[in-house]
Amino acid sequence: MKRKSWIIAITVILFFIGAIAGNAMALDEIRIGTIGPTTGWATIFGQGCLDGIKLALGEYNNEFNGIPIKVFSEDTKADVEVMRTKLDSLKNRDKVHLIIGPSLGHEGMAAVDWGARNPEVPMLIGYSAPEDITMRKATNSVIRPGWTGAQVIFNFGQYSAKDLGYKKVIIVGQDYSYPWDQAAGFIRGFLENGGEKVERIWHPVEAVDFSSIMAKLIAMSKEYDAVLNNSGGAQVVAFFKQWKQFGLDKVYPQILGQANVPIVSMLSELGDSAMGVYSSLHYYDGNPSGANKKFRESFKKKYGTYPDVIAVQGYDAVHVAFKAMKAINGQVDDSKKFIAALRQVKMSADESPRGPFYFDKFANPVQNIYIKKVVKKEGRLMNEAVKTYTEVSQFGPYADMADKYMAAPATTRDYPPGDKASYFMEIEKHFGKDYVEKLKKNNGWVD
Amino acid sequence: MQFSNISKIAVVLVSLALLIAVPWIASDYFVMMCIRVMYFGMLTLSLCFLAGELGVVSLMQASFFGISGYFIAIMQTRYQIPFPIPPLVGIGVAVLFAALTGLLVIRARGIYFLMLTLVLGQLVWALASQWASVTRGDSGITDIFAPVIFGISTEKSKGAFYLFELFFFCAVIYFLAALKRSPFGLMLRGIRDSESRMAMLGYPVSLLRYMAFIFAAFVASIGGVFFAYFTGLINPHSVSLTTNVETLLSGILGGIQTLFGAILGTAILKILDLVLSGITQRYLLIMGVLFLITIMFAPRGAAGALKRLWDGFASRTLGSGSPAGGVSDDPFYEDTK
Repeated sequence: MKRKSWIIAITVILFFIGAIAGNAMALDEIRIGTIGPTTGWATIFGQGCLDGIKLALGEYNNEFNGIPIKVFSEDTKADVEVMRTKLDSLKNRDKVHLIIGPSLGHEGMAAVDWGARNPEVPMLIGYSAPEDITMRKATNSVIRPGWTGAQVIFNFGQYSAKDLGYKKVIIVGQDYSYPWDQAAGFIRGFLENGGEKVERIWHPVEAVDFSSIMAKLIAMSKEYDAVLNNSGGAQVVAFFKQWKQFGLDKVYPQILGQANVPIVSMLSELGDSAMGVYSSLHYYDGNPSGANKKFRESFKKKYGTYPDVIAVQGYDAVHVAFKAMKAINGQVDDSKKFIAALRQVKMSADESPRGPFYFDKFANPVQNIYIKKVVKKEGRLMNEAVKTYTEVSQFGPYADMADKYMAAPATTRDYPPGDKASYFMEIEKHFGKDYVEKLKKNNGWVD
Repeated sequence: MQFSNISKIAVVLVSLALLIAVPWIASDYFVMMCIRVMYFGMLTLSLCFLAGELGVVSLMQASFFGISGYFIAIMQTRYQIPFPIPPLVGIGVAVLFAALTGLLVIRARGIYFLMLTLVLGQLVWALASQWASVTRGDSGITDIFAPVIFGISTEKSKGAFYLFELFFFCAVIYFLAALKRSPFGLMLRGIRDSESRMAMLGYPVSLLRYMAFIFAAFVASIGGVFFAYFTGLINPHSVSLTTNVETLLSGILGGIQTLFGAILGTAILKILDLVLSGITQRYLLIMGVLFLITIMFAPRGAAGALKRLWDGFASRTLGSGSPAGGVSDDPFYEDTK
């Protein structure tokens, strides 16, 4: 008898130890993997996002309800093959509960493909903007607290046509998919709201000599009203410089910019030549809200410079994750529950520097889009909002016919067409006659 | 030479058995690293084969690698053509492309060969990133799924994929080693060492070089098949200059004139990359220093250094039986003298 009770006692004790150990395992730590380019040409995107993530985690003292948070940072070198390997590493080696990143367009496309194959790991996309991540390729475990390229620029096309009154615009941009998407979004907004023609000029991604393009622009100035610069980084700096040198500032009004042109890091490089540039984005650095002020000041304190929209992405991702963790009481081990909670998160204007947002059914934010203008304030260049379009989804004005939008052909360097007649033929084909009628009746989109 | 044929076969069999056992004894993570080393290994092998046998450095091997990958991606995602047609067509097109470009580059030597291949490689890259209606530009093509072989899905089971790839990897090595030992290989070696003499002896020098170029492209394109299937995606980066240069670096690190060096170099580069980047963000600095050390102290790469170590060890333990001077550094190469 004695022996039997001993056995039972030992079993019970072992069971308890096992149970406690199991519990301890579960609540040991919360592991977050971050991924993005932190070396190479795209460092600014990966590092910016990572800085935002670290800043936000710092606000929570790197813990959640007393459970420490461990961050595993991986570098993609802007190469998707490397990124896939690193994603596998994060999942298999580090057993992370959540992955935040990546930051580049092609990385995002590869990440969502990985996400579809590994549906048990929740992923928050950083700065990546291709719409297909949360559209045609959308998958349950991938949530994007960011933006799509077209989402932020639809309304800019509308603004240029209606408020600025331009009829014909030239877009000059780098020849790859992100600028193509920007151009496509702009064209839709512009032509459907009274614009007549958009001409696209593509230059090689690395080009810094724009003299032939400048000459062309001068020749075209009789017909066209304005120029939209659709490049990034060093190309923008070179373009603005040569714009002045060739005297185009006397021929055209100030350059319009795609979403990334007048971001904070660019403003310091462009200097006064950026004054008055119009662009549009889901965040503007001059936002007077408390959340944005707090974010900017604490970022400046920690890193010595003012943050970009890129850092906002990492910062918001962490806050979204914490809100979801609160909703499920920190049970991040249950990835199904965690993913469901992440998709439910609604951020208020007090919580995010960009303003309020919530996710649509494809897990892309429905958020404010700001038409912004570069002004000088307290001796610094800053973006100020001149108009705010609230609750814009990634489908923009096509929110109620998302299926048709997704079935339409994909954007390329010359699709959709840039002149009004053939553009309207296209939308009649894909969105139906009723839509065209409605556009004509309302004289464009209804705000 | 010190080994008899039987012990040689035994060594090969044991190492094969060990390689086959990997999926059962190692973690998924390790298996993944091996898979990666193998497909990049095939790419490096093709470069090192050219460097070793023709004495030229090519900067377009990744194009062949990428072309087969792209063809698989396009045929499988757009036209739903079933396995095994896409990889066969992919390899076929890559070889065809090599046959065309070979005509252009094969007469060039040294730096001119390098420049010509660089231009052609960049051409393929530009096509991949600009012809968006077919290649989807920089976003690349995703949703490529690995095939089902003998009823086992290599998409779901990493181990199965590993074995599938290992089979072709060994076949490629055997193919190249046999090629090097064959009369064809000896002729190439003759051309590399003295082209004018070979020409005078009546060998069709250009034709032989041309064929070697095509064989190398064939090997690279097989690597591309596994790349596309394993990563499930392809984008212009896989045919970019960066990939080409990285291949060259792995070759230099391992020992560019030998097949063993190609594999060793790829393994060191790819595994170190992964391990170090998990530890520190400054891992590229460490890699750079490593390259410096390799080039300064082991110009024949890691394989050469290993060989030297082994020779020193052998001469000390086995006495005077140390190998004579003229032996190639290549463990796969059997001196025929």
